[in-house]
Amino acid sequence: MAYSEKVIDHYENPRNVGKLDAEDPDVGTGMVGAPACGDVMRLQIKVNEQGVIEDAKFKTYGCGSAIASSSLATEWMKGKTLDEAETIKNTQIAEELALPPVKIHCSVLAEDAIKAAVRDYKHKKGLA
Amino acid sequence: MGNASHFALFDLKPDFRLDLEGLAARYRERVRRVHPDRFAGASEREQRLALEESAQLNEAYQTLRSPSQRARYLLALQGEQMHQETTVQDPAFLMQQMELREELQELQEGADLGGLAAFKRRLGQAQEQLNEGFAACWADPLRRDEAERLARRMQFLDKLSAEVRQLEERLDD
Repeated sequence: MAYSEKVIDHYENPRNVGKLDAEDPDVGTGMVGAPACGDVMRLQIKVNEQGVIEDAKFKTYGCGSAIASSSLATEWMKGKTLDEAETIKNTQIAEELALPPVKIHCSVLAEDAIKAAVRDYKHKKGLA
Repeated sequence: MGNASHFALFDLKPDFRLDLEGLAARYRERVRRVHPDRFAGASEREQRLALEESAQLNEAYQTLRSPSQRARYLLALQGEQMHQETTVQDPAFLMQQMELREELQELQEGADLGGLAAFKRRLGQAQEQLNEGFAACWADPLRRDEAERLARRMQFLDKLSAEVRQLEERLDD
C-alpha cells in the first residue's frame, strides 16, 4: 500500500517519541488499542499551571499510519489548552496525512488517545 | 446448508472448549467427500455445489481452530457481532502489551533466541489463561461485557504471537 509523503515523513522522523512520568500529577496518560490490527498507542501530556499542554510524548506499536497519526497528534497538542486539544478531530488528522479509507481508524485511535490523556489528567486533578 | 453454523457443519455443539484434533479429523473427512476429483463426471451444478461446500468447510475450519476467532464467532452466534473497528480502553492490559512489545524489540535487537523461546512460553501461558477465562463466561449473557473484553485481549495476543513467529523466522535465517 502506498503511504502519503506526510505519513512517511512522520514514520521516518516521528516527533515526540518517548515517555513522561505517568505518576507525575501534571501528566495525563492515554492508553488505547485497536483490536482488529493489534495496534497499541500511548499518548501523554504534561500540563502547566495555566492549563496549557507544554509537552506531549507518544509511543505506538502499529502500522505507519498509526505512528504518523499519533506523532501528528502530539505536534498539534503542544501549546494548546486542554479544551483546545479536545477539539482535535480524527478527520483533521486523516486529512492532513491524506490517509486512505482503510486507515481512517488509525486517526480515530489517535483522537481517542488524545481524549483519554486529557481525561486522565482531569481525573487526577479532580476536574472531572 | 447455507445458514448452518460453523459448528453444525462438523456436527458439533457450539462451545468454546473444542478438541482441535477431533475437529481436524472431521474437517479432513468432510472435505474429502466434496473433493473435485470425486465430481469429475458429475453435472456442472453438482460440481459447483461441491466447490461451495468445500469453501464453507474451509472457512468454518479456519474460524473454529483459532481460539480468538472462535470466541468472536460464538459471541456473534449469541446475538450481536462485535464491532471490529473500535478503540479499546483497557489501560492496565494495554500497558502490559506495550511492555511486552518493548521486550520483544529488545530480544530482536539482541538476536536473543533463548530469550525469545522463554517469551513465547510466557505468551502461550497468557493465551491459555485468557482462553480459560473466556470459556468460563461466554455462555452467560450477563457476562457479555467481560467475554468481549477477553475476546479483544485475545486479538492483541494474536498479533504479538504473529510478531514472535516473524522474529523467529528472521533469526532462523
